[in-house]
Amino acid sequence: MSVTAVAPARRRGPGFLQVVGQDRMKLALLLAAVDPLIGGVLIRGERGTAKSTLARALAAVLPPREVVAGCRFHCQPSEGDLCQECRRRSQGGVPLPLEIVPTGLVELPLGATEDRVVGSLDLEFALNSGEVRFQPGVLAEANGQVLYVDEVNLLDHHLVDVLLDAAASGRNVVEREGVSASHPSHFILIGTMNPEEGELRPQLLDRFGLCVDVVGLRDPEQRVRVMESDLGATDPTNADESLRLQLIAARRRLPEVEVSRNLIRVAARMAVDQRVVGHRADLVMVRAARALAALRPGASAEVRPAGLQDLMEVSELALVHRRRVAGSWVPTMAEGVADQQTGAPAPGGDPESTQGGEGEEAGAGEAGEGGQSSSPGTAAEATSGQAGPMPAPPSANVELEERYEAGRLQLPHERRRRRGSGRRSRTSSQDRRGRYVSSRWQERTTDLALDATLRAAAPHQVERRGTAPAGDGRAIQLERQDLRQKVRQRRIGNLIVFLVDASASMDAEQRMDATRSAILALLREAYVRRDRVAMISFAGRSARVALRPTSSVDLAERQLSRLAVGGTTPLTHGLVAALDLILAERRRDQDVLPLLVLISDGRGNISLRGDEPLREAQAAAAEIHRARIHTVVIDTSRDHLPLTPTPGGPQLAGYHFNACADLSRRLGGEYFALFDVTEQGILRPVAEALRRGT
Amino acid sequence: MSEPRSVYPFTALVGQDRMRLALELNAVNPSVGGVLIRGQKGTAKSTAVRALARLLPEIQVIRGCRYGCDPLSEPLCLECQQRRAEGEELVSEPRRMRVVELPINASEDRVVGSIDLEAAIHAGQRRFQPGVLAEANRQILYVDEVNLLDDHIVDVLLDAAAMGVNVVEREGISVWHPARFILVGTMNPEEGDLRPQLLDRFGLCVDVEGISDLSERVEIVLRREAFEEDPEGFQAAWAEAEDRLRVQIAEAMALLPQVEVGRPVLEAIARLSIALDVDGHRADLVGRKAAQALAALRGGRSAGIAEVAEVAPMVLSHRVRSHPGQRSPDVAEVASRVLGEA
Repeated sequence: MSVTAVAPARRRGPGFLQVVGQDRMKLALLLAAVDPLIGGVLIRGERGTAKSTLARALAAVLPPREVVAGCRFHCQPSEGDLCQECRRRSQGGVPLPLEIVPTGLVELPLGATEDRVVGSLDLEFALNSGEVRFQPGVLAEANGQVLYVDEVNLLDHHLVDVLLDAAASGRNVVEREGVSASHPSHFILIGTMNPEEGELRPQLLDRFGLCVDVVGLRDPEQRVRVMESDLGATDPTNADESLRLQLIAARRRLPEVEVSRNLIRVAARMAVDQRVVGHRADLVMVRAARALAALRPGASAEVRPAGLQDLMEVSELALVHRRRVAGSWVPTMAEGVADQQTGAPAPGGDPESTQGGEGEEAGAGEAGEGGQSSSPGTAAEATSGQAGPMPAPPSANVELEERYEAGRLQLPHERRRRRGSGRRSRTSSQDRRGRYVSSRWQERTTDLALDATLRAAAPHQVERRGTAPAGDGRAIQLERQDLRQKVRQRRIGNLIVFLVDASASMDAEQRMDATRSAILALLREAYVRRDRVAMISFAGRSARVALRPTSSVDLAERQLSRLAVGGTTPLTHGLVAALDLILAERRRDQDVLPLLVLISDGRGNISLRGDEPLREAQAAAAEIHRARIHTVVIDTSRDHLPLTPTPGGPQLAGYHFNACADLSRRLGGEYFALFDVTEQGILRPVAEALRRGT
Repeated sequence: MSEPRSVYPFTALVGQDRMRLALELNAVNPSVGGVLIRGQKGTAKSTAVRALARLLPEIQVIRGCRYGCDPLSEPLCLECQQRRAEGEELVSEPRRMRVVELPINASEDRVVGSIDLEAAIHAGQRRFQPGVLAEANRQILYVDEVNLLDDHIVDVLLDAAAMGVNVVEREGISVWHPARFILVGTMNPEEGDLRPQLLDRFGLCVDVEGISDLSERVEIVLRREAFEEDPEGFQAAWAEAEDRLRVQIAEAMALLPQVEVGRPVLEAIARLSIALDVDGHRADLVGRKAAQALAALRGGRSAGIAEVAEVAPMVLSHRVRSHPGQRSPDVAEVASRVLGEA
């Protein structure tokens, strides 16, 4: 079968101009189409706001392109970048035959495997001729066109790396399966995503030239028009055709649009004011302003220079996703806390680019204010009924962080070594579950990647057929060294077990309430990560599983509505119950990532096995540590005793040293002292522990 | 994947009116976008879905097409396009709609399709082996326990549901084929929630509960026993009721394009979505279609506020955002207030 990814008409969607409202989104897409060097568009927004519809509709208005006839990589000589085959052809001095073809949209589906994205060995050709030939993949198909990734934030890390490589270099270089190839791959990258489903990796985020945050229309009138346009079967071609002509004209004007040095200075000034990361923002702003000037020429369609107005109109599109994360823990950590393992922040370097892609949204408050103060008098910016760029929803953690910071105690003991790269919820899975992303050779193949195996065997077939015993009817002679194993990836959720002291004390009620709302808050976010939460409370003479591991908000809400407090402190009972629960879960799924959160003052006073309560608790803690369960200890006592008892020092509830900190050390966990137990106070250390990788 | 030979008649179901109505609306207009049925086990969810297929009129498909292409709807699949390009005259034939099941342990290659093992080994050819999404084209795609589906399967399902097309770029294969289906899912909310993105893809959502009315419960047992003792006889007894509903649905489908939804009604729909602060516009679009389908089902020529009010809970309940520490607004209550003003 030949590559037929792009058929003339795949579906009938509405035309570009038929989509009601969403003018900022339209503008961004058009600018990217006028000047591909802008670097594509990322569209972020809530579900059901015509993101994908509009992105797909763009294909119909794109200007056609001139390519080398018969080239498998759609080389465009005007780009000055040719594939190996075209270069060879043109060496003879014969001009390459050219043809004009429509520009379309190539889609990269989430389920794609690496071989199809970068291209691989041409199987059938190899089988028949025994020769190695490269079969182009999606990156070849996308050359000179739009590469569209729906739900781009869900794209596998593996594929993101490949995509970034090509986007950065404009070339796709393949060295795999005995194939060695390199071809141009210039594409307009368009991605859509719903931030609710998870964030985008910072490197990929920065790769998108422009970014738009879309929201649903809030005006009944416009909503009615959306419904009406959904009904109507008006022919999109006419309006879109004239838009296409406009784009062609704009592209022609583009090289002639002047950009003054002054304007570039203003752009640079804006980037500095807005505290953006890197230099790409300045560049993109200038290019986008120029594209806008080309798109909207002066009177009688004459070329006009790009002006301040243009810059103002496009600036937010280039800035919104590049503002330094404001007020969140990332800069705080880099700037304030000296003992962090990261060096000083390199201005212009990558912002804490951990692999996890957990980058937070720009802080809402600052983003909003900054946008207004820097663009005075730009009434023209409000091009639509839509409110300006939507500030990202405030990260719930941000505001309370300072308050929280005050209550944090650093233990004198040695810092825990941190494992892993922060890909806490992604692991290569060995048990044939998960998404097949690529393949590799390994000693014993347990999960055969048939396609890769065939490709490995294919070049040798002609030769092997010669030596095969006569009458062997098999078309393919496989040998052991051909076998390839599937590499799969799977997202694994955390199991967060809250172990809460429900014994009588002044703030028992508050402790329970805070824990309860922390659990609910975690669960509301959990669908992003597939986390599950459980809760065990201990009081009186026993521990009780108040909530079995679940990811259901419904269930948690119901079961946690009534939590009794009062009585003595059977700490050991609680620790043992938590250990049992986690081990049981581990038996069911050995990949589960448990995090134990102990919320207590650590002053147990009930014996489980007849030993002294303190010693029992310490022994249980050591056991949990041995089971390699990550723990966070939140100390709720309002009086902090020293870690080591001093002779004649104070004594509280029979304890004369900080039992909780001691416990935390034995658990090998992290210790936090909270003077005031709040939902956020609990959530923050938990979120931090999860972020680092349990 | 195949359905049992004897299917319990839809009309013989006792109670569960909301669920039945939601399914019927989808039958009248598949573009309503499917149903999510939330509730406990043993509430006739699966029975109802399978029974529904029996009531749907036959569809025309291109003979020999692996995807069941609609001869009247362009574009055709790649294979049909190729056949036509080679000069073959495409013949259509009628086919009954089926329920295609997506088991929750399905692997991704089975869902989206993969390289054809046999063709590869025996003939050395790289050919596409269609998966469940191909089979489900123009059928009902039924996912029991949809909330337990693996994340990456959900992703591909979303992709296909959103586009009506399954794009395959894997294992050396590069194809696309149409994948339009009525997505019907069931879930038990106690076992975990569904990602909002997938939730939004279901046009309608109904919550079912076990019936507490004693006489109805008895009736359920009696009918079930009668069915199991003599399936054919039971079906024969209900044949007339089934035929009546089948005709009603067919007539509603014919009537549907003529059912008007006036501008004030559209405004009311929009205002309701705004009042409930739902994401995006899908709720509006589904609301209009569902109200229209309801009017058609009742033989009316226009959909009014009454129809909107009746479908509102199904359209909106799963789209209302829940905020931490707040109770979700009561859709029916807000609907009666907002629509009362209209």
